[in-house]
Amino acid sequence: MVDINEHMTKARELGLGNDQVPVEYYTSPEYFRREQDMIFRRAWLMVGRVDEVPEPGDYIVRDLPTLKANVIISRGKDGEVRAFHNACSHRGVALVCQERGNALTFRCPYHAWVYRVDGSLSAIPSEQDFPHVDKASNGLSRIHLDMWAGFIFLNFAEEPEATLPEFLAGIDVMLEGAPFEDFPFSIRVTDEIDCNWKNLVNAFNEGYHVAILHSKTLRAAVVPKENPHLHYLDVKHFGPHSAGTVQRNFDYNPQAPALTWVYAQMLPTSAPDIEAIKEGRAGFYEHPGINRLKIPNFGTETITIFPNISIQPLANGYLFYQFWPISEGRMRTEVRIYSRHEPRTLREEYAMASTLAATRDVVVEDMAMSRLQQIGFESGGKKFQQFGQNEPLLRMFTRDYEAYLAGGGLTPTPTQAEAAE
Amino acid sequence: MSHVSLPEQFAFLEPFVATWGDLRTQDERYLKRQALPQGELEAFHAALAPRLEEVFVHLDRFDPKALPEAEALLFRVVLGLTEASQAVEIFGQPRVPYAPFPHSVNMEWVGFQPH
Repeated sequence: MVDINEHMTKARELGLGNDQVPVEYYTSPEYFRREQDMIFRRAWLMVGRVDEVPEPGDYIVRDLPTLKANVIISRGKDGEVRAFHNACSHRGVALVCQERGNALTFRCPYHAWVYRVDGSLSAIPSEQDFPHVDKASNGLSRIHLDMWAGFIFLNFAEEPEATLPEFLAGIDVMLEGAPFEDFPFSIRVTDEIDCNWKNLVNAFNEGYHVAILHSKTLRAAVVPKENPHLHYLDVKHFGPHSAGTVQRNFDYNPQAPALTWVYAQMLPTSAPDIEAIKEGRAGFYEHPGINRLKIPNFGTETITIFPNISIQPLANGYLFYQFWPISEGRMRTEVRIYSRHEPRTLREEYAMASTLAATRDVVVEDMAMSRLQQIGFESGGKKFQQFGQNEPLLRMFTRDYEAYLAGGGLTPTPTQAEAAE
Repeated sequence: MSHVSLPEQFAFLEPFVATWGDLRTQDERYLKRQALPQGELEAFHAALAPRLEEVFVHLDRFDPKALPEAEALLFRVVLGLTEASQAVEIFGQPRVPYAPFPHSVNMEWVGFQPH
Protein backbone atom coordinates (compact mmCIF):
# COMPACT_ATOMS: atom_id res chain seq x y z
CA MET A 1 0.00 0.00 0.00
CA VAL A 2 1.40 3.41 -0.94
CA ASP A 3 1.65 5.88 1.93
CA ILE A 4 0.41 8.96 0.11
CA ASN A 5 1.76 11.27 2.82
CA GLU A 6 5.23 10.48 1.52
CA HIS A 7 4.26 11.71 -1.93
CA MET A 8 2.61 15.05 -1.09
CA THR A 9 5.38 17.03 -2.73
CA LYS A 10 6.03 20.25 -0.83
CA ALA A 11 7.51 23.38 -2.42
CA ARG A 12 10.61 23.19 -0.23
CA GLU A 13 11.42 19.73 -1.56
CA LEU A 14 11.68 21.25 -5.03
CA GLY A 15 13.80 24.15 -3.77
CA LEU A 16 11.04 26.64 -4.54
CA GLY A 17 11.33 29.49 -2.03
CA ASN A 18 9.22 32.04 -3.93
CA ASP A 19 6.36 32.14 -1.47
CA GLN A 20 5.22 35.67 -2.39
CA VAL A 21 4.51 36.74 -5.93
CA PRO A 22 3.94 40.34 -7.03
CA VAL A 23 0.33 41.19 -7.94
CA GLU A 24 1.82 43.44 -10.63
CA TYR A 25 2.43 40.33 -12.77
CA TYR A 26 -1.34 39.99 -12.93
CA THR A 27 -2.41 43.59 -13.44
CA SER A 28 0.23 45.46 -15.39
CA PRO A 29 -0.11 46.19 -19.15
CA GLU A 30 3.69 46.27 -19.31
CA TYR A 31 3.87 42.69 -18.05
CA PHE A 32 1.27 41.64 -20.59
CA ARG A 33 3.34 43.19 -23.39
CA ARG A 34 6.40 41.31 -22.17
CA GLU A 35 4.42 38.08 -21.99
CA GLN A 36 3.44 38.50 -25.64
CA ASP A 37 7.04 39.05 -26.75
CA MET A 38 9.01 36.89 -24.34
CA ILE A 39 6.63 33.94 -23.82
CA PHE A 40 4.01 33.64 -26.55
CA ARG A 41 6.35 34.56 -29.41
CA ARG A 42 9.04 32.15 -28.13
CA ALA A 43 7.32 29.07 -26.68
CA TRP A 44 5.72 26.36 -28.80
CA LEU A 45 1.94 26.84 -28.58
CA MET A 46 -0.53 24.01 -28.94
CA VAL A 47 -3.34 24.87 -31.34
CA GLY A 48 -5.20 21.69 -32.19
CA ARG A 49 -5.17 18.01 -33.04
CA VAL A 50 -3.88 16.52 -36.25
CA ASP A 51 -7.12 14.55 -36.58
CA GLU A 52 -8.87 17.87 -37.22
CA VAL A 53 -7.22 17.80 -40.68
CA PRO A 54 -7.19 14.08 -41.57
CA GLU A 55 -7.45 14.30 -45.38
CA PRO A 56 -5.49 16.23 -48.04
CA GLY A 57 -7.22 19.58 -48.52
CA ASP A 58 -8.65 19.64 -44.98
CA TYR A 59 -8.05 22.91 -43.19
CA ILE A 60 -8.94 24.70 -39.98
CA VAL A 61 -8.62 28.36 -39.06
CA ARG A 62 -7.54 29.32 -35.55
CA ASP A 63 -7.65 32.71 -33.96
CA LEU A 64 -4.96 33.26 -31.29
CA PRO A 65 -6.04 36.37 -29.42
CA THR A 66 -2.79 36.79 -27.49
CA LEU A 67 -0.80 37.48 -30.65
CA LYS A 68 -3.77 38.67 -32.72
CA ALA A 69 -2.74 35.86 -35.03
CA ASN A 70 -5.19 34.33 -37.47
CA VAL A 71 -3.83 31.02 -38.64
CA ILE A 72 -4.69 28.53 -41.37
CA ILE A 73 -3.64 24.94 -40.70
CA SER A 74 -4.00 22.74 -43.77
CA ARG A 75 -3.00 19.34 -45.06
CA GLY A 76 -1.51 19.55 -48.55
CA LYS A 77 -1.96 17.09 -51.41
CA ASP A 78 1.44 15.73 -50.36
CA GLY A 79 0.00 14.85 -46.93
CA GLU A 80 2.08 17.42 -45.05
CA VAL A 81 0.39 19.61 -42.44
CA ARG A 82 1.41 23.28 -42.61
CA ALA A 83 0.46 26.52 -40.89
CA PHE A 84 0.16 29.98 -42.44
CA HIS A 85 -0.87 33.44 -41.44
CA ASN A 86 -4.31 34.05 -42.91
CA ALA A 87 -3.27 37.04 -45.04
CA CYS A 88 -3.23 37.48 -48.81
CA SER A 89 0.16 38.42 -50.26
CA HIS A 90 -1.52 41.16 -52.33
CA ARG A 91 -3.21 43.53 -49.87
CA GLY A 92 -3.32 41.47 -46.69
CA VAL A 93 -6.91 40.25 -46.57
CA ALA A 94 -7.65 37.33 -44.25
CA LEU A 95 -8.81 35.24 -47.17
CA VAL A 96 -10.08 32.03 -45.52
CA CYS A 97 -13.30 32.92 -43.73
CA GLN A 98 -14.68 29.48 -42.82
CA GLU A 99 -13.57 27.91 -39.57
CA ARG A 100 -12.95 24.53 -41.22
CA GLY A 101 -13.42 22.79 -44.53
CA ASN A 102 -11.80 20.97 -47.41
CA ALA A 103 -10.43 22.83 -50.40
CA LEU A 104 -8.14 22.50 -53.40
CA THR A 105 -7.32 26.20 -53.32
CA PHE A 106 -7.92 29.32 -51.24
CA ARG A 107 -9.22 32.27 -53.26
CA CYS A 108 -9.03 35.79 -51.87
CA PRO A 109 -12.50 37.36 -51.96
CA TYR A 110 -11.03 40.85 -52.67
CA HIS A 111 -9.15 40.44 -56.01
CA ALA A 112 -9.18 36.64 -56.48
CA TRP A 113 -5.53 35.86 -55.88
CA VAL A 114 -5.47 32.08 -55.61
CA TYR A 115 -3.33 29.85 -53.34
CA ARG A 116 -2.97 26.09 -53.22
CA VAL A 117 -3.67 24.41 -49.86
CA ASP A 118 0.10 24.04 -49.42
CA GLY A 119 0.25 27.85 -49.30
CA SER A 120 1.91 28.42 -52.69
CA LEU A 121 0.56 31.23 -54.85
CA SER A 122 -0.99 29.76 -57.98
CA ALA A 123 -2.71 32.62 -59.83
CA ILE A 124 -2.80 36.43 -59.97
CA PRO A 125 -5.59 37.91 -62.12
CA SER A 126 -4.17 40.47 -64.57
CA GLU A 127 -0.74 39.14 -63.73
CA GLN A 128 1.00 41.52 -66.17
CA ASP A 129 0.28 44.36 -63.73
CA PHE A 130 2.40 42.67 -61.06
CA PRO A 131 5.74 42.19 -62.83
CA HIS A 132 7.53 42.72 -59.50
CA VAL A 133 5.74 39.83 -57.77
CA ASP A 134 7.56 36.52 -57.96
CA LYS A 135 4.85 33.92 -57.42
CA ALA A 136 7.32 31.35 -56.10
CA SER A 137 8.30 33.58 -53.18
CA ASN A 138 4.88 35.12 -52.49
CA GLY A 139 2.91 32.28 -51.04
CA LEU A 140 1.10 32.55 -47.73
CA SER A 141 3.51 33.30 -44.84
CA ARG A 142 4.54 30.10 -43.09
CA ILE A 143 4.51 29.56 -39.33
CA HIS A 144 6.78 26.93 -37.77
CA LEU A 145 4.74 23.80 -37.04
CA ASP A 146 5.56 20.52 -35.36
CA MET A 147 3.54 17.73 -33.78
CA TRP A 148 3.67 15.57 -30.70
CA ALA A 149 1.20 12.80 -29.83
CA GLY A 150 -1.15 14.14 -32.48
CA PHE A 151 -1.14 17.66 -31.00
CA ILE A 152 -0.22 20.47 -33.37
CA PHE A 153 2.18 23.10 -32.00
CA LEU A 154 3.14 26.41 -33.60
CA ASN A 155 6.11 28.64 -32.97
CA PHE A 156 5.88 32.31 -33.96
CA ALA A 157 9.58 33.12 -33.69
CA GLU A 158 11.48 33.85 -36.91
CA GLU A 159 13.68 30.93 -35.94
CA PRO A 160 12.60 28.86 -32.90
CA GLU A 161 15.18 28.83 -30.10
CA ALA A 162 14.41 25.18 -29.40
CA THR A 163 12.90 22.31 -31.33
CA LEU A 164 9.57 20.99 -30.08
CA PRO A 165 11.16 17.93 -28.40
CA GLU A 166 13.74 20.22 -26.72
CA PHE A 167 10.92 22.51 -25.60
CA LEU A 168 8.90 19.60 -24.19
CA ALA A 169 11.96 18.65 -22.13
CA GLY A 170 10.99 15.09 -21.29
CA ILE A 171 7.27 15.36 -20.62
CA ASP A 172 6.87 14.01 -24.13
CA VAL A 173 9.00 11.01 -23.19
CA MET A 174 7.01 10.34 -20.03
CA LEU A 175 3.76 10.40 -22.01
CA GLU A 176 5.05 8.59 -25.09
CA GLY A 177 2.35 6.34 -26.49
CA ALA A 178 -0.43 7.75 -24.28
CA PRO A 179 -3.62 6.90 -26.18
CA PHE A 180 -4.91 10.38 -27.00
CA GLU A 181 -5.92 9.15 -30.46
CA ASP A 182 -8.42 6.73 -28.92
CA PHE A 183 -10.58 9.72 -28.00
CA PRO A 184 -11.10 11.65 -31.25
CA PHE A 185 -14.50 13.21 -30.61
CA SER A 186 -14.55 16.57 -28.87
CA ILE A 187 -16.89 19.18 -27.53
CA ARG A 188 -15.34 22.66 -27.33
CA VAL A 189 -16.35 25.10 -24.63
CA THR A 190 -15.10 28.69 -24.96
CA ASP A 191 -15.63 31.74 -22.85
CA GLU A 192 -13.98 35.11 -22.29
CA ILE A 193 -13.61 36.48 -18.78
CA ASP A 194 -12.32 39.57 -17.08
CA CYS A 195 -9.25 38.20 -15.38
CA ASN A 196 -5.58 37.59 -15.93
CA TRP A 197 -4.89 34.28 -17.70
CA LYS A 198 -2.49 33.14 -14.99
CA ASN A 199 -5.33 33.09 -12.45
CA LEU A 200 -6.73 30.09 -14.36
CA VAL A 201 -3.31 28.49 -14.92
CA ASN A 202 -2.82 28.59 -11.16
CA ALA A 203 -6.30 27.24 -10.41
CA PHE A 204 -5.53 24.09 -12.38
CA ASN A 205 -2.17 23.68 -10.66
CA GLU A 206 -3.42 23.10 -7.12
CA GLY A 207 -6.04 20.89 -5.51
CA TYR A 208 -6.23 22.96 -2.32
CA HIS A 209 -9.37 24.80 -3.54
CA VAL A 210 -11.31 21.76 -4.70
CA ALA A 211 -13.03 20.86 -1.41
CA ILE A 212 -14.09 24.49 -0.92
CA LEU A 213 -14.86 26.11 -4.27
CA HIS A 214 -16.11 22.86 -5.82
CA SER A 215 -17.89 21.66 -2.68
CA LYS A 216 -21.09 20.86 -4.58
CA THR A 217 -19.65 19.81 -7.93
CA LEU A 218 -16.46 17.83 -7.29
CA ARG A 219 -15.78 17.28 -3.61
CA ALA A 220 -17.80 14.11 -3.14
CA ALA A 221 -16.38 12.56 -6.29
CA VAL A 222 -12.72 13.43 -5.95
CA VAL A 223 -11.62 14.56 -2.48
CA PRO A 224 -10.60 11.47 -0.47
CA LYS A 225 -10.75 11.28 3.33
CA GLU A 226 -7.01 10.68 3.58
CA ASN A 227 -6.18 13.82 1.54
CA PRO A 228 -8.77 16.46 2.52
CA HIS A 229 -6.92 19.36 0.84
CA LEU A 230 -6.38 17.30 -2.32
CA HIS A 231 -2.65 17.76 -2.31
CA TYR A 232 -1.26 16.73 -5.70
CA LEU A 233 0.89 13.63 -5.40
CA ASP A 234 4.21 12.73 -7.04
CA VAL A 235 4.80 16.16 -8.58
CA LYS A 236 7.10 15.83 -11.58
CA HIS A 237 8.71 18.59 -13.58
CA PHE A 238 10.27 18.72 -17.02
CA GLY A 239 11.70 22.13 -17.83
CA PRO A 240 8.74 24.45 -17.23
CA HIS A 241 6.18 21.64 -17.70
CA SER A 242 4.81 19.50 -14.92
CA ALA A 243 2.53 16.67 -13.88
CA GLY A 244 0.91 15.70 -10.60
CA THR A 245 -1.28 12.77 -9.63
CA VAL A 246 -4.80 13.39 -8.32
CA GLN A 247 -7.00 10.88 -6.51
CA ARG A 248 -10.66 10.12 -6.80
CA ASN A 249 -13.34 8.42 -4.66
CA PHE A 250 -14.12 5.13 -6.35
CA ASP A 251 -17.08 4.58 -4.03
CA TYR A 252 -18.73 7.81 -5.20
CA ASN A 253 -22.22 6.76 -6.11
CA PRO A 254 -24.56 9.61 -6.98
CA GLN A 255 -28.12 9.02 -5.84
CA ALA A 256 -29.84 11.89 -7.64
CA PRO A 257 -32.23 10.45 -10.25
CA ALA A 258 -31.13 12.32 -13.41
CA LEU A 259 -27.42 11.80 -12.68
CA THR A 260 -27.97 8.13 -11.83
CA TRP A 261 -29.76 7.64 -15.13
CA VAL A 262 -26.84 9.30 -17.01
CA TYR A 263 -24.31 7.00 -15.30
CA ALA A 264 -26.34 4.00 -16.44
CA GLN A 265 -26.21 5.12 -20.11
CA MET A 266 -22.63 6.19 -20.55
CA LEU A 267 -20.07 6.92 -17.87
CA PRO A 268 -19.07 10.56 -17.69
CA THR A 269 -15.57 11.40 -18.96
CA SER A 270 -14.19 11.36 -15.42
CA ALA A 271 -15.93 8.33 -13.88
CA PRO A 272 -13.79 5.21 -13.63
CA ASP A 273 -14.99 2.18 -15.52
CA ILE A 274 -14.24 -0.46 -12.90
CA GLU A 275 -14.75 -3.36 -15.31
CA ALA A 276 -12.41 -1.83 -17.89
CA ILE A 277 -9.72 -1.21 -15.27
CA LYS A 278 -9.93 -4.84 -14.11
CA GLU A 279 -9.60 -6.05 -17.67
CA GLY A 280 -6.70 -3.72 -18.50
CA ARG A 281 -8.50 -1.76 -21.22
CA ALA A 282 -8.94 1.52 -19.38
CA GLY A 283 -7.00 3.75 -21.75
CA PHE A 284 -4.75 6.17 -19.92
CA TYR A 285 -4.88 4.12 -16.69
CA GLU A 286 -2.55 1.55 -18.22
CA HIS A 287 0.12 4.02 -19.29
CA PRO A 288 3.39 3.78 -17.30
CA GLY A 289 3.90 7.58 -17.21
CA ILE A 290 0.51 8.10 -15.61
CA ASN A 291 -0.14 7.20 -11.97
CA ARG A 292 3.47 6.12 -11.39
CA LEU A 293 2.61 5.48 -7.72
CA LYS A 294 -0.04 2.98 -8.79
CA ILE A 295 -2.44 4.36 -6.22
CA PRO A 296 -5.64 2.34 -6.32
CA ASN A 297 -7.95 5.37 -6.28
CA PHE A 298 -6.25 7.15 -9.16
CA GLY A 299 -8.32 9.99 -10.63
CA THR A 300 -6.20 11.93 -13.07
CA GLU A 301 -2.77 13.22 -13.83
CA THR A 302 -2.87 17.00 -14.15
CA ILE A 303 -0.38 17.74 -16.91
CA THR A 304 0.68 21.33 -17.46
CA ILE A 305 2.41 22.32 -20.65
CA PHE A 306 3.94 25.77 -20.40
CA PRO A 307 2.71 28.40 -20.87
CA ASN A 308 -1.03 27.91 -21.13
CA ILE A 309 -2.21 24.29 -21.28
CA SER A 310 -3.58 21.79 -18.81
CA ILE A 311 -4.43 18.23 -19.85
CA GLN A 312 -6.23 15.75 -17.62
CA PRO A 313 -6.32 12.14 -18.85
CA LEU A 314 -9.40 10.47 -17.39
CA ALA A 315 -11.09 7.12 -17.45
CA ASN A 316 -13.22 7.65 -20.53
CA GLY A 317 -11.42 10.39 -22.35
CA TYR A 318 -9.46 13.46 -21.43
CA LEU A 319 -9.97 17.12 -20.71
CA PHE A 320 -7.91 19.79 -22.40
CA TYR A 321 -7.83 23.36 -21.11
CA GLN A 322 -6.10 26.32 -22.71
CA PHE A 323 -5.82 29.86 -21.38
CA TRP A 324 -5.15 32.72 -23.80
CA PRO A 325 -4.43 36.21 -22.52
CA ILE A 326 -6.21 38.99 -24.43
CA SER A 327 -4.91 41.75 -22.17
CA GLU A 328 -3.63 41.89 -18.61
CA GLY A 329 -7.23 41.82 -17.37
CA ARG A 330 -9.04 39.71 -19.93
CA MET A 331 -8.59 36.16 -21.21
CA ARG A 332 -10.16 33.40 -23.25
CA THR A 333 -10.65 29.93 -21.79
CA GLU A 334 -10.97 27.04 -24.19
CA VAL A 335 -11.97 23.63 -22.85
CA ARG A 336 -12.24 20.51 -24.95
CA ILE A 337 -13.89 17.36 -23.66
CA TYR A 338 -12.54 14.40 -25.63
CA SER A 339 -14.47 11.12 -25.88
CA ARG A 340 -14.19 7.82 -27.71
CA HIS A 341 -16.90 8.62 -30.22
CA GLU A 342 -19.71 10.98 -31.10
CA PRO A 343 -23.13 10.13 -29.66
CA ARG A 344 -24.60 7.12 -31.47
CA THR A 345 -28.00 7.19 -29.80
CA LEU A 346 -30.24 9.79 -28.23
CA ARG A 347 -29.41 8.23 -24.84
CA GLU A 348 -25.74 8.95 -25.45
CA GLU A 349 -26.48 12.44 -26.71
CA TYR A 350 -28.39 13.19 -23.51
CA ALA A 351 -25.60 11.68 -21.37
CA MET A 352 -22.91 13.67 -23.17
CA ALA A 353 -24.93 16.90 -22.94
CA SER A 354 -25.31 16.24 -19.23
CA THR A 355 -21.58 15.63 -18.77
CA LEU A 356 -20.92 18.77 -20.82
CA ALA A 357 -23.15 20.82 -18.49
CA ALA A 358 -21.48 19.34 -15.40
CA THR A 359 -17.93 19.87 -16.70
CA ARG A 360 -18.75 23.40 -17.84
CA ASP A 361 -20.20 24.30 -14.44
CA VAL A 362 -16.98 23.24 -12.69
CA VAL A 363 -14.96 25.45 -15.05
CA VAL A 364 -17.49 28.25 -14.53
CA GLU A 365 -16.76 28.00 -10.80
CA ASP A 366 -13.03 28.38 -11.49
CA MET A 367 -13.61 31.24 -13.88
CA ALA A 368 -15.96 32.99 -11.44
CA MET A 369 -13.30 32.81 -8.72
CA SER A 370 -10.59 34.03 -11.10
CA ARG A 371 -12.74 37.06 -11.92
CA LEU A 372 -13.24 37.87 -8.24
CA GLN A 373 -9.49 37.43 -7.75
CA GLN A 374 -8.84 40.00 -10.49
CA ILE A 375 -11.22 42.48 -8.85
CA GLY A 376 -9.26 42.02 -5.62
CA PHE A 377 -5.90 42.43 -7.36
CA GLU A 378 -6.95 45.56 -9.21
CA SER A 379 -8.35 47.17 -6.10
CA GLY A 380 -4.73 47.79 -5.24
CA GLY A 381 -4.52 46.94 -1.55
CA LYS A 382 -2.33 43.87 -1.98
CA LYS A 383 1.12 43.99 -3.49
CA PHE A 384 1.68 40.23 -3.27
CA GLN A 385 -0.21 36.95 -3.32
CA GLN A 386 0.99 34.05 -1.18
CA PHE A 387 1.82 30.57 -2.45
CA GLY A 388 1.86 27.80 0.17
CA GLN A 389 4.10 24.78 0.58
CA ASN A 390 1.14 22.86 -0.79
CA GLU A 391 1.15 24.94 -3.98
CA PRO A 392 4.52 23.95 -5.45
CA LEU A 393 3.36 24.09 -9.05
CA LEU A 394 2.30 27.73 -8.68
CA ARG A 395 5.78 28.60 -7.47
CA MET A 396 7.32 26.55 -10.26
CA PHE A 397 5.21 28.21 -12.94
CA THR A 398 6.15 31.65 -11.57
CA ARG A 399 9.86 30.78 -11.51
CA ASP A 400 9.75 29.69 -15.15
CA TYR A 401 7.54 32.64 -16.11
CA GLU A 402 10.17 34.99 -14.68
CA ALA A 403 12.91 33.11 -16.53
CA TYR A 404 11.10 33.51 -19.85
CA LEU A 405 10.48 37.21 -19.27
CA ALA A 406 14.19 37.63 -18.61
CA GLY A 407 15.01 36.04 -21.96
CA GLY A 408 15.74 32.49 -20.72
CA GLY A 409 13.47 29.62 -19.88
CA LEU A 410 14.13 27.58 -22.97
CA THR A 411 17.35 26.11 -21.65
CA PRO A 412 16.21 23.02 -19.81
CA THR A 413 16.22 23.44 -16.02
CA PRO A 414 17.70 20.49 -14.10
CA THR A 415 15.35 17.62 -13.43
CA GLN A 416 14.49 16.57 -9.89
CA ALA A 417 17.10 13.82 -10.00
CA GLU A 418 19.85 16.10 -11.25
CA ALA A 419 18.94 18.81 -8.75
CA ALA A 420 19.21 16.30 -5.91
CA GLU A 421 22.75 15.35 -6.81
CA MET B 1 -44.30 28.86 -31.02
CA SER B 2 -44.44 25.52 -32.75
CA HIS B 3 -47.80 23.86 -33.45
CA VAL B 4 -46.35 20.41 -32.96
CA SER B 5 -47.60 18.41 -29.97
CA LEU B 6 -45.76 15.91 -27.82
CA PRO B 7 -46.46 12.21 -28.39
CA GLU B 8 -49.70 11.48 -26.55
CA GLN B 9 -48.24 9.37 -23.71
CA PHE B 10 -45.91 12.24 -22.75
CA ALA B 11 -48.64 14.83 -22.32
CA PHE B 12 -47.44 15.18 -18.70
CA LEU B 13 -44.58 17.27 -20.10
CA GLU B 14 -46.96 19.70 -21.83
CA PRO B 15 -46.56 22.38 -19.08
CA PHE B 16 -42.81 22.53 -19.89
CA VAL B 17 -42.99 22.76 -23.69
CA ALA B 18 -43.29 26.55 -23.77
CA THR B 19 -40.14 26.88 -21.63
CA TRP B 20 -37.84 24.26 -23.17
CA GLY B 21 -39.37 23.11 -26.46
CA ASP B 22 -37.97 25.82 -28.72
CA LEU B 23 -34.42 25.88 -27.39
CA ARG B 24 -31.88 24.56 -29.91
CA THR B 25 -28.49 24.79 -28.24
CA GLN B 26 -26.93 23.92 -24.90
CA ASP B 27 -26.14 27.60 -24.33
CA GLU B 28 -29.82 28.53 -24.77
CA ARG B 29 -30.72 25.88 -22.19
CA TYR B 30 -27.98 27.09 -19.84
CA LEU B 31 -29.28 30.67 -20.10
CA LYS B 32 -32.88 29.53 -19.56
CA ARG B 33 -31.91 27.61 -16.41
CA GLN B 34 -30.18 30.69 -14.97
CA ALA B 35 -33.24 32.85 -15.58
CA LEU B 36 -35.91 30.51 -14.16
CA PRO B 37 -36.99 30.44 -10.51
CA GLN B 38 -35.69 27.37 -8.66
CA GLY B 39 -39.30 26.24 -8.06
CA GLU B 40 -39.95 25.89 -11.79
CA LEU B 41 -36.73 23.93 -12.28
CA GLU B 42 -37.72 21.63 -9.42
CA ALA B 43 -41.20 21.05 -10.83
CA PHE B 44 -39.71 20.11 -14.21
CA HIS B 45 -37.15 17.83 -12.58
CA ALA B 46 -39.80 16.17 -10.39
CA ALA B 47 -42.01 15.46 -13.41
CA LEU B 48 -39.30 14.14 -15.74
CA ALA B 49 -36.28 12.75 -13.89
CA PRO B 50 -38.03 9.61 -12.54
CA ARG B 51 -39.47 8.90 -16.01
CA LEU B 52 -36.36 9.41 -18.19
CA GLU B 53 -36.11 5.69 -18.95
CA GLU B 54 -39.71 5.61 -20.13
CA VAL B 55 -39.05 8.56 -22.48
CA PHE B 56 -35.97 6.92 -23.97
CA VAL B 57 -37.65 3.54 -24.42
CA HIS B 58 -40.02 5.46 -26.69
CA LEU B 59 -37.26 7.47 -28.42
CA ASP B 60 -35.20 4.30 -29.02
CA ARG B 61 -37.68 3.36 -31.75
CA PHE B 62 -36.64 6.27 -33.98
CA ASP B 63 -33.63 7.11 -36.11
CA PRO B 64 -31.79 9.86 -34.17
CA LYS B 65 -30.96 11.62 -37.43
CA ALA B 66 -34.58 11.65 -38.68
CA LEU B 67 -36.84 12.20 -35.69
CA PRO B 68 -40.50 12.90 -36.43
CA GLU B 69 -41.53 16.39 -35.29
CA ALA B 70 -43.30 15.18 -32.15
CA GLU B 71 -40.30 13.12 -31.00
CA ALA B 72 -37.89 15.95 -31.87
CA LEU B 73 -39.97 18.26 -29.68
CA LEU B 74 -40.00 15.67 -26.90
CA PHE B 75 -36.22 15.28 -27.07
CA ARG B 76 -35.66 19.06 -26.98
CA VAL B 77 -37.82 19.32 -23.86
CA VAL B 78 -35.96 16.40 -22.27
CA LEU B 79 -32.56 17.96 -23.04
CA GLY B 80 -33.66 20.86 -20.85
CA LEU B 81 -33.19 18.52 -17.92
CA THR B 82 -29.42 18.35 -18.58
CA GLU B 83 -29.36 21.94 -17.31
CA ALA B 84 -32.26 21.85 -14.84
CA SER B 85 -30.74 18.85 -13.05
CA GLN B 86 -27.52 20.81 -12.43
CA ALA B 87 -29.62 23.41 -10.61
CA VAL B 88 -31.71 20.83 -8.71
CA GLU B 89 -29.32 17.94 -8.04
CA ILE B 90 -26.03 19.81 -7.69
CA PHE B 91 -26.34 23.48 -6.75
CA GLY B 92 -29.75 23.88 -5.11
CA GLN B 93 -30.07 27.14 -7.03
CA PRO B 94 -30.41 28.07 -10.72
CA ARG B 95 -27.02 29.77 -11.14
CA VAL B 96 -23.44 28.72 -10.54
CA PRO B 97 -22.47 30.64 -7.37
CA TYR B 98 -20.40 33.79 -7.99
CA ALA B 99 -20.71 33.52 -11.79
CA PRO B 100 -21.82 36.57 -13.78
CA PHE B 101 -25.48 36.72 -14.83
CA PRO B 102 -26.63 36.23 -17.48
CA HIS B 103 -23.70 34.02 -18.41
CA SER B 104 -23.39 32.74 -21.97
CA VAL B 105 -20.83 30.07 -22.92
CA ASN B 106 -20.06 28.89 -26.43
CA MET B 107 -20.33 25.09 -26.75
CA GLU B 108 -19.57 23.35 -30.03
CA TRP B 109 -19.83 19.61 -30.75
CA VAL B 110 -17.05 19.29 -33.32
CA GLY B 111 -18.30 17.59 -36.48
CA PHE B 112 -21.65 16.64 -34.93
CA GLN B 113 -25.02 18.41 -34.99
CA PRO B 114 -26.73 17.94 -31.62
CA HIS B 115 -30.48 18.40 -31.19
